[in-house]
Amino acid sequence: MNGTATTAAAPLLDEVLVALLRRGLPDVEVFAKRGRSRRLEISPVTETSVFSQEQGWAVRAGDPRRSFFATGTGEPALDGPWPDPTGRPVRLPEPVPPGGAPPWNEPSDFSAPLIGEREGLKLLESLGRELASELPGARLTRAALEDGSSESEIVNSRGLRARFRNRVATLHLEAAGPGRSSASVYLAAREARRFHPPALARRLADRLAVQSQGAPPDRDGGEFLLAPPVVARLLCGLLPFLVGPRAGALLAGLRDRRGRIGSEHLTLIDNGRLPGGALEAPVDGEGVPTREVVLVEEGVARQSLLTWWQAESHPNTGAPSGCTRRPGWRDLPAAGPTHLHLKPDPRIPVAALLGSIARGYYLIDVSGGGRFDPASGTFALPVCGFAVEGGRASAPVARAWLCGGIGDLLQGIAGAGRDLTFLPLAGMIGAPTVLATGLELRAG
Amino acid sequence: MAPMPFSQLDTAAVARTLSQIAEQSEDVVDAFFERREETELPPDDEGPGLRVRREEGFAIRLTRQGKTWLASRDSISAKPFAEALRQVARALPSATYPEPAFQLPPFEPDPRTAAELIGIPDALTRSIRSHHVGFPARITVRRHRRWVQVVGPRLVSGQEQETFYSLQAEAAWGAHGALYPRLDSNAVDQFASALVHLFRARQAAPPEPFRGTAVLAPAVVAVLLHEAVAHALEADVLARGGNPEAAVGVAMAGPGVDVLDDPAAAPPGVRRATDDEGSSVSRRWLLRGGVVEQPLADLLWARTSPVLVPGAGRRGSRHLPPGPRSSHLELLPGEVREDDLLSDADGGLFLEEAGRGALDPLSGEFRLHLPFARRIRRGALGDTVGPCVLRGRVADLLTRVAAVAREARPAGAGWCAKDGQKMPVWATTPAVRLDGVEILPEGGPA
Repeated sequence: MNGTATTAAAPLLDEVLVALLRRGLPDVEVFAKRGRSRRLEISPVTETSVFSQEQGWAVRAGDPRRSFFATGTGEPALDGPWPDPTGRPVRLPEPVPPGGAPPWNEPSDFSAPLIGEREGLKLLESLGRELASELPGARLTRAALEDGSSESEIVNSRGLRARFRNRVATLHLEAAGPGRSSASVYLAAREARRFHPPALARRLADRLAVQSQGAPPDRDGGEFLLAPPVVARLLCGLLPFLVGPRAGALLAGLRDRRGRIGSEHLTLIDNGRLPGGALEAPVDGEGVPTREVVLVEEGVARQSLLTWWQAESHPNTGAPSGCTRRPGWRDLPAAGPTHLHLKPDPRIPVAALLGSIARGYYLIDVSGGGRFDPASGTFALPVCGFAVEGGRASAPVARAWLCGGIGDLLQGIAGAGRDLTFLPLAGMIGAPTVLATGLELRAG
Repeated sequence: MAPMPFSQLDTAAVARTLSQIAEQSEDVVDAFFERREETELPPDDEGPGLRVRREEGFAIRLTRQGKTWLASRDSISAKPFAEALRQVARALPSATYPEPAFQLPPFEPDPRTAAELIGIPDALTRSIRSHHVGFPARITVRRHRRWVQVVGPRLVSGQEQETFYSLQAEAAWGAHGALYPRLDSNAVDQFASALVHLFRARQAAPPEPFRGTAVLAPAVVAVLLHEAVAHALEADVLARGGNPEAAVGVAMAGPGVDVLDDPAAAPPGVRRATDDEGSSVSRRWLLRGGVVEQPLADLLWARTSPVLVPGAGRRGSRHLPPGPRSSHLELLPGEVREDDLLSDADGGLFLEEAGRGALDPLSGEFRLHLPFARRIRRGALGDTVGPCVLRGRVADLLTRVAAVAREARPAGAGWCAKDGQKMPVWATTPAVRLDGVEILPEGGPA
């Protein structure tokens, strides 16, 4: 077994597995998950407290030609009822041989109690107060905090068995400020107590102030200091270049004459076991052990992020890792990053990067959806922030688009700070503040 | 017709139990029971095959003076019900809460009865070929079913049932999805036609930014109404900017714009007599003559003002509290023939399909994303342009309605995913002409 938690459903899962095998279905996987969560939400007029207990299961089963997927609440019954297998067969992972998976100790905060109703509401209320003191006239229009824990178990007919727990909290804030400006943030952390109201209030206040006072620039270049939310969105747009068996070919198109796809400051890593990560787990959604995978190392492409089934179907594309996400029992396992991040430089404070800019922009946040076109190799992302002169912010900038070539973006990274920050996008995507050149800011 | 699962629920016993936590006269207390089923036929290159997702559960809610407490479970049985009741109650009773007995029939014993899904991918391929084009597309077909029962301490509403279908296509050049109340040959042909239009427009360049005339087909009007009228008039959205009842009487659109939300007039299969709080639905005039008459409200918001009327409470999941949302929007027809909307226009764009829309409730800025459009030249359709965005402030945009066609049609529907609650929305509407609106190329500067 991987992980340390226990679930009560274990014997039942085995019984369901055996019952389906007896029906002549040799490939069977039974998954069960139960969880508890507390959700607290405030608006200027309402206050809501929700306590949920969820419990569900999923079965994938079939023969070499056909298969089905069935899910339900509560516990599975031995006799289903099960759908008739149709379509394609289902593929299931083999267990890792004993000693094949690195050891993993469950973090102690997995057992921390969920945030209490009063404690959670106090956190949200303090956020509102901090915001009002950071920026007069600013207020929270909606704040939702959710703190949850879950236990999952998987057994399959190949002999794989895994149990694991998860602990994750999310925070969604919407704020209004002067001049009809609005801003929102969506964050995830291992537990709700890790959210820091003063820092979040400052972030919202900066964004509101920039939105209300900023103007779009004329078409301009220079040096760009990109805050973690901006870099994380850029990385999210680049996922087709990093994840799956076709990613390698796309990335190869970005190689320069030296064979590099980015500057020496570009190292990209995915790690399902990232200590302290919101999605930290010993195994992925199919029970395959997670590990750290270096996708790009100092500008050199190493491999794509691949599941076991992608690596089997596309030999010579790279070594697989446990990177199958399964958010809930209703969901089929799907390939994707867990904690994909640009490696920070622990020696470089953000202030040093800002101070190094003679003329350019410090872009603090993203203000909408962007465009990433792998075919043309270009991107455009709506952003806001400040113009910078002599290492100091000189004027707010809003309604602007950061534009450029994807290759130019990766090759133009001139430095990374130490402030690695993760955002819940497609999995957790993380980045430090990054100094970049070779891009353009345009009015939008 | 699928059997109603809550027919044997002892609603009187549930009501008696709930009455123990309703201590104050203004308390809203209810138990929401739901059963859901989604049957999915995936693309034929994808395993596993047939996918059946079934679930049931309940939520107990207490709302008092603007505060709501809700406890939910993924099962319908006595002990969890009593536990949830204890979590919601604000005062401990002198005795433990009784555990009402629940007797629910099982889901239909045979989940293989999704025969209506099986032939759809082939029928779609045939319909696409009848347009003299062919392209590979991965088709997903789903049937969605839901049963709902709401019980309050004094009122037990009737059971509600919804059945509808969704189609999703993915191709190398893009994706398209739609909802249908029936999966008949009309739905298949409509979906195929939309796919063919998207395919033919796949390489069209976005238009240059312009301000001028846009003629909106009913499918686009449906998204416009949903985002710019319905979301803008939800009591909780109005409250983000101030007092919701202050919106009543405000002129929001041109005098020829009458918009209603009428869940009871929705297509058969998704028609509702009560909302997800057990309140009777009504034919709600959101805009009469362009003036706001009755914002969308649920029980919570109706408690805050005598002007707000419940009946529009919807829940995407038992694990979240209900909120005010529209179900089935109608734009009343005008007096212009649909063909004349185009022939009266000189220049501009004809918008046939909409992608998604978004409204910033604070600034009132609205964006409608369009996968393609057709130029209008001398009153007729011209060449195709690529992805673009219709942008404007709601208050300004809706005053630019220059003409409304006289032929109202079921205008399809889509998924609405406000605040993490995903639910289907429906519309019946005619085509519309807007003058002096701004359209930009999609995706920012070229």
